Amino acid sequence: MIKPTRSAATITPGEALPPLERQFTAVDLVAYGAATWDWHRLHYDLEYARSMKLPGVVVDGQAFGALLARAALDWAGPRGFVTRLSFRMKSMAFAGDTLRAEGEVTAVRAFAGGHLVELTQRLTNAGRCVAEATTEIRLPD
Amino acid sequence: MLLADELKAWIGREAHYPAREELGRASIRYFALAMGDDNPLYVDEAYAKEAGYPSVIAPPTLICETCQYAHRPPDADGYIGHEWHLPVANCRLIRAGNDYEFMRPVLPVDRISVTWTLENIVERSASRGGTQLFVTSVARYRDAAGEVVAINRETLVYQPLTPA
Repeated sequence: MIKPTRSAATITPGEALPPLERQFTAVDLVAYGAATWDWHRLHYDLEYARSMKLPGVVVDGQAFGALLARAALDWAGPRGFVTRLSFRMKSMAFAGDTLRAEGEVTAVRAFAGGHLVELTQRLTNAGRCVAEATTEIRLPD
Repeated sequence: MLLADELKAWIGREAHYPAREELGRASIRYFALAMGDDNPLYVDEAYAKEAGYPSVIAPPTLICETCQYAHRPPDADGYIGHEWHLPVANCRLIRAGNDYEFMRPVLPVDRISVTWTLENIVERSASRGGTQLFVTSVARYRDAAGEVVAINRETLVYQPLTPA
């Protein structure tokens, strides 16, 4: 039995997405780097990170996109499709940080065969903004 | 000033990376595990089919995040993915943001090739003094039929390690 997909008819601007939290431990950074074929030292080599005048090994900013997409799709359900995801970095995150994804619906519009739902999303790290995003999800009718 | 004419000449350059193999179920499951994403669409064939897909699908951002297209030894930074190797010394690279567009779900059988285009280089003053470079590149991901399945417009910032 698959999880239900949200129906655009029940969605109105202002609806909040369920928050999603994810800690990025040193192990997670190595796993993410390996899974994305990205072995850049920034993500596991502390001496290298310090030589770049950074306080710790860095959470890959691209993982922010994955986390935002996951939060949006967990909310939309299995037939939802992300058509656009645009995110801007506001601050860096480092190993051990816990990122919290939040967001809300800003617009719903119909097109032939379905609806497009626009979301505003943000990632925070202990209350500090890490990234802001605009996301568009297509829902079938 | 960082932005010499030499650097402006890089705008418009392209780099193409042909598909080396199918994306594959292992790459999809590995990515989902690494992100702690337990969505069954990425690992459960029967579930994905019931949801209307021909097979399991890839998480949407996977092909924009992976360097699976690359095939070279790691450089001094450990990196194997696409780089322009701009003639900019003594900088660190920071991500400013990405704009993704997705045309259709990507499947494990898809063979994805990537073409990067250097779209623009802009110099702006930095709050910590001196100037920094904003470099915008666009990656277009195509399937075996040549159809674009995703576009990734990415802006990276080259920050001088020793402010002027």
